[in-house]
Amino acid sequence: MTDLLWTVGPPFLLLNGVLILVTYLTLLERKFAARLQSRVGPYEVGRPHGWLQPIADAVKLLLKEDIVPTAADRLVYNLAPIVFLVPAFLMYAAIPFARGWALADLDIGLVFVLAVSSLEVVGLFMCGWGSNNKYALLSAMRAVNQIISYEVPFILVALVPVVLTGSLRLSTIVDAQQGLLGWFVFYPVLGQLAFVAFVVVALASENRIPFDIVEAESELVAGFRVEYSGMKFALIQLAEFVHLFGVACLGTLLFLGGWLGPGPAALGPVWFVLKALLLFLLVIWIRWSFIRIRVDQILALSWKVFLPASVALLLAAAAVVAASGGAGA
Amino acid sequence: MPKPGVGTAFRMARAASAALAVTFRNLFRTPVTVHYPRVTRPYPDRFRGVLALTYDPETGEENCIGCRLCEFICPPQVIKVEMLKAEKRNYAKLFTLELYACEFCELCVQVCPTDAIIMLRTFDLAATDRRDLFLDKDRLHALGRQFPPSWATGTGLRAMQAPPARGGAKGEAAKDAAE
Amino acid sequence: MSGPGRTVVEYGYGGNERLVMNMGPQHPSAHGVFRMILTLEGETIVDVDPVIGYLHRCHEKLGETLTYVQYPSIASKTDYVSAMTAELCYVRAAEQLGQIEVPKRAQYLRVMAAELQRVASHCLWLGTWCMDMGGALGGGATMFLYCFREREMILDLFEALTGARLLYGFHQVGGTRYDIPAGWADKARETVTHIEGRLAEYEALLEGNTIFLVRTQGVGVISRELAQEVGVSGPLLRGSGFAHDLRRVEPYSSYEEFAFDVPVETAGDCYARYRVRMQEFRQAIRIVRQALDGLPAGPISSRPGVKSIGQVKLPKGEAYARVESARGEVGIYLVSDGSTKPYRMKWRGASFSNLAVAGHILPGHKIADAVAILGSIDPVFGEVDR
Repeated sequence: MTDLLWTVGPPFLLLNGVLILVTYLTLLERKFAARLQSRVGPYEVGRPHGWLQPIADAVKLLLKEDIVPTAADRLVYNLAPIVFLVPAFLMYAAIPFARGWALADLDIGLVFVLAVSSLEVVGLFMCGWGSNNKYALLSAMRAVNQIISYEVPFILVALVPVVLTGSLRLSTIVDAQQGLLGWFVFYPVLGQLAFVAFVVVALASENRIPFDIVEAESELVAGFRVEYSGMKFALIQLAEFVHLFGVACLGTLLFLGGWLGPGPAALGPVWFVLKALLLFLLVIWIRWSFIRIRVDQILALSWKVFLPASVALLLAAAAVVAASGGAGA
Repeated sequence: MPKPGVGTAFRMARAASAALAVTFRNLFRTPVTVHYPRVTRPYPDRFRGVLALTYDPETGEENCIGCRLCEFICPPQVIKVEMLKAEKRNYAKLFTLELYACEFCELCVQVCPTDAIIMLRTFDLAATDRRDLFLDKDRLHALGRQFPPSWATGTGLRAMQAPPARGGAKGEAAKDAAE
Repeated sequence: MSGPGRTVVEYGYGGNERLVMNMGPQHPSAHGVFRMILTLEGETIVDVDPVIGYLHRCHEKLGETLTYVQYPSIASKTDYVSAMTAELCYVRAAEQLGQIEVPKRAQYLRVMAAELQRVASHCLWLGTWCMDMGGALGGGATMFLYCFREREMILDLFEALTGARLLYGFHQVGGTRYDIPAGWADKARETVTHIEGRLAEYEALLEGNTIFLVRTQGVGVISRELAQEVGVSGPLLRGSGFAHDLRRVEPYSSYEEFAFDVPVETAGDCYARYRVRMQEFRQAIRIVRQALDGLPAGPISSRPGVKSIGQVKLPKGEAYARVESARGEVGIYLVSDGSTKPYRMKWRGASFSNLAVAGHILPGHKIADAVAILGSIDPVFGEVDR
């Protein structure tokens, strides 16, 4: 019995914890965005800070009619949000929130996380395909194009801390960042460049502004989720936010020292979540400060700028490590 | 597309941080949201709000003499007046105003010779039935008692607009009204 | 450009077939009710068929049924974003017909109102343009809210002056209807100083930003010849190299007494028009300050205030009066038959002529550029459709 509890309990807690956290992250985004724009954001529902707004939104979406277009491919259409959502949650299996607090602290933790998170593309394409809507399909194809183009630089930049540490295990990478100035973001030159590149490339593979031409399609033509409403739409939105927060967690582990921070070790998860929130706020801050780039320019940027840049960064990291006598295997 | 290179990258980074700095600075400014209806904006003296009919403060009589000047000047023709002739002065037998079609242009206030019709410093008369916005004479008088009036009255406006003409008297009146 | 029996070809992934796509009349590019039938080849626009008329409200007929004292309250509904100049145009035409003098104070008040309105109109233009380019949820919305925050301050000024926030009724034949209240001059000075400071922030947010530059430079170029041929005016003309500003060419309402520069750019693209309008902000603020400092004492109207509907009777004749609104040359052609109402009133809407250039410059651009170009043309459909 206790065995069962120990097997089922942590994933259950993790899933629900992430779910609730991400739901309130939507509120955080709206309030933060509002303050950036001299306004107040959600206020009425759950005065004075709109605490009940995410619940109200969830209830509203639950109560909506479930519409499936007649011409849609029912199986694909219905499965797509789930296929979109599951890899996002699966990412969290290998992410350690503190020393020993990972569901599965794999030797190849980073590879697992990156691989699983790129499965999202399948779900996205299924959304566009299942809708049987020419504009949704076009938009989904563009999204797939963009995400895949940015996966390569993403992986290469994420490998920079790996090279500096010498291990793919996420907890080892964090352990190599002891002390405030040990964080890889403070690593001279290389760390800052890699961090900036990581943030930009992550934005692009998340379809966030300034790279969200795919979602902006919905203003001119249509986006890939145009045929979705109600709970399925909620699942797609949730998946995007969960994925985004997951990437923020990854960034924390790779560059911001994970759970390391002053105070007792028990504060580890708190520091971790705070730092991930910081990255998340950075993403929101960027979103509300820039206008979007045109789609042809996005792809040009990826292949002509970020790919060479990330290769260069990786080579530089390798050279640094080799020059200093090699850190680990 | 700008040419790739370190110089471009540096310029882009600088421009990006300038943009981020502007939004960041804005985080610390007070939001401009006014939490209506709990808080209302202070409406200026001349606010052109809902219309109302007035009474003479000394005698308590209705100011309106049923002259129909407001009915004639109203561009969307929302006012309908019927005069009631009486011994000493005339009254308005019927005075209706369709607030849902009113343009709030203040021309009726401008032409009124007795300052009978005025505008109030409120606009909030939301209703669920359009017939509630069809104001009859009683309703107009009640509104006049209920809300603070705006500065503008017929005589006040005409005094402000009066040309200098004879001597400086009217011009002076205009300047006083303007102060 | 269009006609019945037009065939719609389905999009083929070969990329060389044409797709006819409809944009509008309702779409989130917040410019108003405007329909564009685009013929696309892949992502590129090949042909544009603009359809207008969705906001037609019979203003020119209204001008025949309303008298000279009634119409100025309605005139602001044509160019509702730049309302003061619309009213100004009408009363100027009436005054030209009747050879009516306008006192100096009224002229200065009119100039002040027009220039403050120019600042407010450009605030709205900048906000909506950035929103179109950046997305309703994104950096564009931030610019939009900042610009509207500033525009609200000017609208508060107008509210203190006239009592209304968009449809002012500020002008009347012979002068203005309202004089400035006590304390207004100081408030106005504070407001324009505040806005001038914020302008630097907007420019920091946009200029130098490579994304913005790439999306606006070289996009939507109106050549000098095209500008002349189509008859554009305002910032479109000045962005294409013509130093033509009605306030200089044909000064009205004491504009010759004010010192201001007329910004001109030669590139003719969206960025040039953006630069022109940003500099117009500053010049307008300059004029407002001069007007406030030099406001002469005196009456605000040469004719008594409106007392009856038939008060203004103009002699027979015709007159064309034009003003430089935020969008360009707004003109009114009045034909009078000697009564209290015009016999015919024709609006020359600045946006109507400006919008005509869209059909010429859109082909060859991508769809995403269409919104940027339309925004830089800055149409207001009250003026286009009347």
